[in-house]
Amino acid sequence: MIGAVAHRPSGTDASSRTRGAPGRPDDRRILAPGVVIDGATKRFGAKTALDDVSLTIEPGSFLVLLGPSGSGKTTLLRCLAGIERLSAGRIAIGDRLVADGERHHVAPERRDLSMVFQDYALWPHLTAEQNIAFAIARLRLPKSEAARRSRELLGRVGLAGLGERFPNELSGGEQQRVSLARALAAGTGLLLFDEPLSNLDAGLREGLRVEIATLAREAAATSIYITHDQAEAFALADRIGVLHGGRLVQLGTPEDVYLRPVSAFVAQFTGLAGALRASTEGPTGPNQVRVRLDAVDAHAVAVAPAARDAAAGTPGRLMLRHAAVRLAPPSESGIVARIADTAFRGRGYDHAVELPWGDRLVGIHDERRWSRGDTVCLSLDPAACFFFPDDPPPHGAESRSAAVSPAPDRPWPGPQAS
Amino acid sequence: MIHRLGVGSFGLGRRGASAQPGASPVGATSPDSRQRGHPALLPAQLLGRSGLLAGPAALWVVLGVLLVLPMAVFLVQAFSPRLFGAGVQWFTLDNFANAFSGATLQGLADSLGVSAATSLLCVAIGGSLAWGVHRTDLPGRRVWPIMMWALLLVPTFLAAEGWEYLLQPHGVLSQFGIDASPIYGVFFGPLGVVFVLAMSALPYAYITISAALLHLGSEFEEAARVHGAGAWRTTRVMLPILGPALLSAAAIVFAESMSDFGVASTLAASAHFPVATYVLFQAIDNNPADFGLAAAVGWLLVASAAIPIAVQAWALRGRTYAVVSGRTRTPTRSHLSPPVRVLATASIVLLFGLALGAPIVGALVASLLKGFGSEISVSALTLANYRTVFAGDAGLAAPLAFSTGMAALAALGTMVLGLAVARLMAARGGGRLARLTDLVLLGSVALPGIVLAAGYIFAYNLPLLGNVGLDLYETTPLLLMGYVATALPSQARLMVGPVSQLQESLVHAARVHGSSAASAWRRAVLPMLSRILLWAGLLTFAKTLLELPVSQLLYPPGSPPVSVAINSYVAGYHYDIGTAMTVVALGEEFAVILVGLALFALITPRGWRRSLGATP
Repeated sequence: MIGAVAHRPSGTDASSRTRGAPGRPDDRRILAPGVVIDGATKRFGAKTALDDVSLTIEPGSFLVLLGPSGSGKTTLLRCLAGIERLSAGRIAIGDRLVADGERHHVAPERRDLSMVFQDYALWPHLTAEQNIAFAIARLRLPKSEAARRSRELLGRVGLAGLGERFPNELSGGEQQRVSLARALAAGTGLLLFDEPLSNLDAGLREGLRVEIATLAREAAATSIYITHDQAEAFALADRIGVLHGGRLVQLGTPEDVYLRPVSAFVAQFTGLAGALRASTEGPTGPNQVRVRLDAVDAHAVAVAPAARDAAAGTPGRLMLRHAAVRLAPPSESGIVARIADTAFRGRGYDHAVELPWGDRLVGIHDERRWSRGDTVCLSLDPAACFFFPDDPPPHGAESRSAAVSPAPDRPWPGPQAS
Repeated sequence: MIHRLGVGSFGLGRRGASAQPGASPVGATSPDSRQRGHPALLPAQLLGRSGLLAGPAALWVVLGVLLVLPMAVFLVQAFSPRLFGAGVQWFTLDNFANAFSGATLQGLADSLGVSAATSLLCVAIGGSLAWGVHRTDLPGRRVWPIMMWALLLVPTFLAAEGWEYLLQPHGVLSQFGIDASPIYGVFFGPLGVVFVLAMSALPYAYITISAALLHLGSEFEEAARVHGAGAWRTTRVMLPILGPALLSAAAIVFAESMSDFGVASTLAASAHFPVATYVLFQAIDNNPADFGLAAAVGWLLVASAAIPIAVQAWALRGRTYAVVSGRTRTPTRSHLSPPVRVLATASIVLLFGLALGAPIVGALVASLLKGFGSEISVSALTLANYRTVFAGDAGLAAPLAFSTGMAALAALGTMVLGLAVARLMAARGGGRLARLTDLVLLGSVALPGIVLAAGYIFAYNLPLLGNVGLDLYETTPLLLMGYVATALPSQARLMVGPVSQLQESLVHAARVHGSSAASAWRRAVLPMLSRILLWAGLLTFAKTLLELPVSQLLYPPGSPPVSVAINSYVAGYHYDIGTAMTVVALGEEFAVILVGLALFALITPRGWRRSLGATP
């Protein structure tokens, strides 16, 4: 079902799938394919880098795969690109089966996709314009037309006039822009991004992130973007897939992932002020429990997707988003803490507070400045607190609850379709 | 008159004297089949596991045939002559006992002493020059590195013979009325041998130390200066930091000197100063040949390469000098005061004058003298010698054409094989196989050409091979194999650096953006490696064109390579023709390199010149 659906940019007739035909820039837009990954597994010797990952990517959507290093996100992207071979499982791009276990593997150049690399991967012996023209070559356009398009793309990424420069004559940000232009050059329907911003200075990142977001959507392509930076993921994604230890642990909208993390890992990885030891006292509503802190006689209410039915007294961790913690002057109620650090952030101040038993909470925002050493009282917002018991249910349950969009039950295209 | 041992005569060192014209030159190791393993390597990585193993396996067959098997078969002779039917004993240490007695022991001792002295000299001169070129405003610092390359291209036997033409009693100097006999007496002995070896090995020391200096940022010097150290204390701080590079330079020069055959067979032999390589040569050249003794000396030559490595390990004793950081800035050059500049420049001009100028001028002038070398010499310049060289059947035309062809084929084979081997070694996760390859190549770099050639003579003359129809002995393919085997280890190691610098993502990017595996290689990889491939090809060509030890022992009867022809004419007192040949051959060598570099600069796309693999 999904694989056959193709997204069509508005204002373009379906029959304008005219790869290679020169004409208006719009003409080279092609139908963005959906991508279906089913049970993708990749083993390197004894190590399983990718473990039975299934997900479906809607045509024309922007999916971010988020995970720490070693989570399998790079492996998944390389399997999609065809650089790595799957050990088991299937991948379909559009209505083509491009990978089926070790038996069937379509070469990268025949998958009709483009990629932006972490280390830019610009060919050092070609100028910026030639690098882009290299990717246009698959359209078999006349040379002058290819050169014209290279220049046009350079203009689109803000590098007009720098086409004659060699990669080492460009800054890191400029090189990555060339790499972005190269990926857009042939108008392929599927764009892959391999941590494109991670080698850039913080100042350049936001600018290029916006450019990736707008240009990828302008191209109406299906985009798959991997990163270990949750802020980048939340900013870019239509949907986020969180990977951990080679498995897909949660798939959902950025809001889903942030507000309803399915596991302690996802909560931790998407940004916390800190975590406190606690144990359950009982449910207070759907998906909510009341917990008691271990270190001090204090109570909190937290979202607890995995502990709703847990017996009272189940030990675990109370995880606090930055926004969960509010600072107030000392009073009778609330947890007393001491300000350990204050950082001016322009729109206010970020504070680190130290709790009497030694735990620390960081990144707590307040518009007023608290001085180092001040005593404060903390109050917690239940919607931004999560409780996860120490012994989570078996892994399968976690990932099943995560499989928001499982691979569809439909006949797979055979290898002959490729 | 110079007394010469019979190094040069044609047909020397042959056993089973006649050539075997029936032998098929297309054996299992013809150049074509050797190249077969290569292009599959990288695509194989993308295509799967079976392909991934096929490439290295084919490569290992090639390395086995070229290096490992002949060496193993030959070296085992030192212990077990009977194993390959060359004696009666299954195990014996007699050959080592012989090697440690009499003239052989003397040769070994001489070689060790000469090599140690050469190492010291080269590190001192090469290190100073590298420092001057890279860290000071020394005049001519663009010229000296080029001179180093030129020095690298003059084979030791030609340098030694050049000095002979110059200094001998009826030599060039005496023709111009200069009495050179006092220098002649000193030069024809250990001092001369050390001098010629040092001048020829100097580029290795210079290049090694230069590479370290280029990677070493100036922050250490600046830190020393900032904290109050003067020039002398700064130098004392820097010397230990450069220690590993200085020791590597010494190790390379030591191994080069130990394995040299050019000086050993000319100057040292004339001066009755036996060195180990010549002792080994004589053991094979005698009738009957003593392969057992030759193998024992071979073992000791190979083992001697371990001496400087052991010294290096002892000196460093587990300390690490991780001084290469990504952020090093181009160092500032220190300013030399005018007297120092003048003195330094004069010393360098003198150095290259002696190292390069004297032997070449010696040969050049001698080649222009009528009847040079005979007792009655007419001091008139003439081109007659060159006419002789190119006229008739006595001349150089045939050997030069033969050697040019062989050198071109060897260059091609070495480029292709070297690239394949370098890829194998640079492959991530290559693991044990990569390390083993590295070890074999490292061992082979230290393997003297004369040992390799002796191994080929023994291994490829085994009746075993004749029985299966592989009669390679005394054929052109075997000579070519010998040339490639000689050049491959160092060239492959030269290529490892650039090949491992090549990011995999460049190939992946090409594949992802629509190139097939072959096209990705051609368009994204080869341009990046073009410079290092060009250098590997040119260096192999130059080194092979005038290669001596392998040529001497393996050439097919009736087709002497240039080096053998020159030595033969010189040995037969035909100095006039010999010197003219020398000049022509050296001229060709330099011309090919210049034309190669010029063509690369003129016809390749602009971006290719940014490829990996720089010249120091």
